[in-house]
Amino acid sequence: MATHDLWTPDRLPDPFAGVAKFLFDWIPLLVLVVGWEVASGRAVSESVLPPPTAVAAATVDLFATGEVIPHLAVSLLRVGVGLGLSIAVGVLLGIGMSQSDAVEDFFDVFLSLIYPLPKTALVPLALLWLGIGTKTAVLIVFLACLLPIVMNANNAAENVDQNLIRSARMMGTSDRRLFWKVVIPATIPEILTGIRQAIPFAFISLISAELIASEQGMGRLIRDAGSIGRYPAMFATIVIISAVAYTAVYGFEQIRERVLVWT
Amino acid sequence: MDVDVRSLDASSVVDSLKSIYSLVLLLVLWEVVTRMGLIYPYFLPQLSVVIDEFVLLVSSGQMIHAAYLTLMRAFVGLAGAAVAGVVIGILCARNALFEWFFDPIIKIGYPVPVISLVPVFMLWFGIGDVSKIIMVVVGTFWPVAVNARDATRQVDRNLIRSARMMGTGDRRLLWRVILPAASPGIFTGLQIATPIALIITFVFEMVAGGGGLGALEIAGVRGFNSAQTYAVIFAIIAIGLVLDRLLRAARTRLLDWT
Repeated sequence: MATHDLWTPDRLPDPFAGVAKFLFDWIPLLVLVVGWEVASGRAVSESVLPPPTAVAAATVDLFATGEVIPHLAVSLLRVGVGLGLSIAVGVLLGIGMSQSDAVEDFFDVFLSLIYPLPKTALVPLALLWLGIGTKTAVLIVFLACLLPIVMNANNAAENVDQNLIRSARMMGTSDRRLFWKVVIPATIPEILTGIRQAIPFAFISLISAELIASEQGMGRLIRDAGSIGRYPAMFATIVIISAVAYTAVYGFEQIRERVLVWT
Repeated sequence: MDVDVRSLDASSVVDSLKSIYSLVLLLVLWEVVTRMGLIYPYFLPQLSVVIDEFVLLVSSGQMIHAAYLTLMRAFVGLAGAAVAGVVIGILCARNALFEWFFDPIIKIGYPVPVISLVPVFMLWFGIGDVSKIIMVVVGTFWPVAVNARDATRQVDRNLIRSARMMGTGDRRLLWRVILPAASPGIFTGLQIATPIALIITFVFEMVAGGGGLGALEIAGVRGFNSAQTYAVIFAIIAIGLVLDRLLRAARTRLLDWT
């Protein structure tokens, strides 16, 4: 890896070096934020681009007044249920398709039809069936996350090291034990990769569904705040949901590293 | 394409029937159930009605125009992001100053659900084409830049050293060694970015209107003409399939030396 560090404070004692390096690494973001603060109200109108201090104040306000709490809760519920469903169904389907030709023949054509379809294009259809609200958002999140999980699970289950299976067979492992003790553990790393790929799509589809078809949720709050001119609150809501997405992505990566001790 | 005689034998016909029977079954079931009036037509119009609507929308030019608007917005934006993303990605991998500046920005910016910025772009740039195109640029920049950066970092150092040793200049090194060696990764970035470009365009069109497939689709829901919604989804699936095939074909053709 050709990562060349611009500055390595190797002459400082260890804990300080770490802190100094951290600060140095994040200067660019500080530059951006300060630039934004200075530009706001001077280069561009404050209403068009509220300064970071105003956005920070609005973020605190949204929590202090409790305004954001129900929206955040409903969004988290939607993304959690949608992603959870897609993991359950996706793993089952992916592994099922690798174990049984009948299952594969039945589902393969549907998967290859919805694979190239940007799932947010289904929001109007979900709206038609389920109306405005949680069910529509959950359905869209579910559909958006399903494919990466199915494909990774299926791929992994079809490519389980044959030597592992043969060795287990040779030691007299039954079909059921083989499935639970060999196939499933061997596919877990790729299933986790599939979930990791699905998380950003979960948030994109959640916000899309909420922008178009919801009376609650972070997406709706962003839209409402924007349409009545509460711009600091609009930016604050975006910051909050981005922080949630960021935590989900990097948090999941941390968990994956802890869980996958055997790879 | 040359026809392979063996592909016409009985077993492969059975195979291809096996792989699509469930779809045929579903479509037949769709028509039968709706004809029997078991489902309220607003939720699910008859398949034949949807097909009629599709033909009508295409022949009246409405669908073609909407598809043109959507694809134009998505691909102009994607082209902008491709240029910016590849340039910045390569600079990040080759230049310590750029790496220092852009790495934390990419780390923070990549996971942001860009779609939440749609109301912001409506505020900044209005609801016209320009606003949608800039939104696509901003949304698709990240995967392109990250893949270009990572691919450039992984270019075999021996290749670069050998080229240098033979006296290759900076410019030739970039065009003849680094870009070709990184091109599979760059192409992957574009493949990831294409559906994101479409997602952003559809959602923006649904929220803000201004024509395009997203607007046409949501108009079907709001105007109680659900056949129109289904017809547009058919069109989107077709476009998605064609784009996917095109990208794969382009990949094998352009990168066949890898």
